[in-house]
Amino acid sequence: MSEAQVKVHVDKVNKSYGENHVLRDISLDIAENEVVVMIGPSGSGKSTFLRMLNQLETPDNGTIIVDGYDISDKNTDINKVRENIGMVFQNFNLFNNYTVLENIMLAPVELKKLDKVAAEKKARELLETVGLSDKADMPVSSLSGGQKQRIAIARALAMTPDIMLFDEPTSALDPEMVGDVLDVMKNLAESGMTMIIVTHEMGFAKQVADRVVFFESGKIQESGTPDQVFDAPKNERLQEFLSKVTHA
Amino acid sequence: MFKKGILISFLAMLSITTFVFAMGDNLVHADKPNYIISTDATYPPFDFQDKNNQYVGIDQDILKEISKRENFTYTLKPMSFNSAAQLVSNGQADGIIAGMVITEERKAVYDHSTPYYKTGVAWIVKKDSKIKSLKDLKGKTVALKTGTAASEYGKSLQAKYGFNVKYFNDTDTMYNDVAVGNSAATFEDMPVIQYAIKNGVKLKVMNADNPGNAGWYGFFVKKGENKALLSAFNRGFAAIKKDGTYDKIVAKYLGANQSTFTGAKKDNFSVLGILKANKSAFLKGLWQTIMLTFLGIILASIWGVVLGVMGVSQNKFVRGVSTTIIYIFRGLPLMVLAFFIYIGLPGVIGAKIPAFTAGVLTLVLNEGAYTGAFVRGGFEAVEVGQMEAARSLGLPYRTAMRRVIMPQGLKIMVPSFINQFIITLKDTSILSAIGLLELTQTGSLIVARNSQGFRVWAIVAIMYLIIITLLTWFSNWAQKKLQ
Repeated sequence: MSEAQVKVHVDKVNKSYGENHVLRDISLDIAENEVVVMIGPSGSGKSTFLRMLNQLETPDNGTIIVDGYDISDKNTDINKVRENIGMVFQNFNLFNNYTVLENIMLAPVELKKLDKVAAEKKARELLETVGLSDKADMPVSSLSGGQKQRIAIARALAMTPDIMLFDEPTSALDPEMVGDVLDVMKNLAESGMTMIIVTHEMGFAKQVADRVVFFESGKIQESGTPDQVFDAPKNERLQEFLSKVTHA
Repeated sequence: MFKKGILISFLAMLSITTFVFAMGDNLVHADKPNYIISTDATYPPFDFQDKNNQYVGIDQDILKEISKRENFTYTLKPMSFNSAAQLVSNGQADGIIAGMVITEERKAVYDHSTPYYKTGVAWIVKKDSKIKSLKDLKGKTVALKTGTAASEYGKSLQAKYGFNVKYFNDTDTMYNDVAVGNSAATFEDMPVIQYAIKNGVKLKVMNADNPGNAGWYGFFVKKGENKALLSAFNRGFAAIKKDGTYDKIVAKYLGANQSTFTGAKKDNFSVLGILKANKSAFLKGLWQTIMLTFLGIILASIWGVVLGVMGVSQNKFVRGVSTTIIYIFRGLPLMVLAFFIYIGLPGVIGAKIPAFTAGVLTLVLNEGAYTGAFVRGGFEAVEVGQMEAARSLGLPYRTAMRRVIMPQGLKIMVPSFINQFIITLKDTSILSAIGLLELTQTGSLIVARNSQGFRVWAIVAIMYLIIITLLTWFSNWAQKKLQ
């Protein structure tokens, strides 16, 4: 992997909440166009790690370079970096005070990336991509969870990010809604987006991931291709985790 | 930039309103000296409002005569006695005429005029009271008016006769407390109580022939200042004493019966009569209450939102400033704050603060602190995910606040705002303490004159309820529009 291709470079990052040491010496490189899926039990640190990549959490020490910016450096303009990193949350976090279309247009217009007309055009295209063109003028409270999450993805894409972060995007959804959201993500992966995904959807991980990373006790215990991780796990804790997940 | 803009417009609004309302107070005649004279608003027969809502009484007529002869004009500031006296001692007013007895203690703070009226202290009980002598007061409650010489006298007897003391700010409420039997007795200047009894207050004087602590009333200025005013008063007083004007004034009030000043019976013994006779006073009081409420609500809301926004700032120092301001002004009783601004502050900053400005400022600081607290709470009540989502898109903190958090937070706060508006309206009544002629003070003045407490306060209460109802309707309408 040559330097130019590295989108995310994480070196020896630690994070503690009081006594609780949630991340221990994490190092990880992610290449352009790569889809990395992070799995592991609750509390293993994978979400905290993901949230550090756009500084929603700050590391205690270590280096994080995203898109060429050192975001562990206080002098970096984090807002500029964030413009190029989309994030999708477990609880959608659509802006309750705006309609669907306004949710998608807000950031591009406020940050002067697009004028209103262009932003609306783009928003409508994105709505079509996620299959929700008819919801454009609805208040977000009227949508189902699956619809909300697809809007949230469209909202993040409106900033034309280089990297997309997904923090358990389907965990808060009713089972019948999960498929629609995963389909949107699959298409995105196929389009070549660099994606880092925290999820419990093992089937999806197998299908879409270039690399699967297993977190446990604040450490990366194992990482590799889906075949390696799911079919020939070496780490004992990974084996235990997988047996629990597949039995569930 | 955003916060600064709010602050600037807030200050601009405050200074404009201050200016507009101060104008009325300061119509100075260039050719004559104009003095600010404070007085007790309810102290018949020396100082009170007549049926035309003019301040009259022995003091007032003396002052008017002297000002004519000595060629000066004055702006009268009627309020509670204690506040009126403090207004002079801290330089907010030039002089005070308020049935004020010349005492050694007062000589230390004020310079006084030629004594103009001999008085003594009466002790007074309910008309049908069984109390025979001061000894019977043991263990009972005695009502006193704060800051008066009569109350000093009463207090000096407390240890000897073993009674408890309860303080009041105005004469009428104090009388009433005795008349209804809450307090067993009160102390008051002899002519004052005699006039009140003549006008139907159901009390009796126990020592008419033997007034306690006899003394003299004087006109006062702050020690060492306003020498011209003091000598003008003395010259003028000598003149009216000499030509018999003074005796006529005294006779006019002490010989008067109720209807002379308070109007005919039909005007005082029915709600309609009282309303009709005092129409202009009630309307003025109502208008003042509405203006105070209106300005109070608007400016306190702006200030409260500024405090609330500061309260959720990323900057620790800014947050601390907001917390401290809210802590201080929410902790101070409204009346203390009003006194501090109106009576305390001018002595320090050396500038006079008009009562209306002081009133509005009090409301803004107090109601604004409450507003700031719930505004901050409202912002904090917006899900943390909303801010995270906004920031993750690259929106700066301020943009995220303005476009995402604030609109949602404000919606949460609407019921609190409506609540605060109603509280602000009710709190304007406390400003009567600094002499603002709003609805409550208007009621006090009318009751002081006609002793029709039940009817007058019923009218005032209904007026408040009507404004509160209108305010609630309007707020609910606005709330619906917002949703």
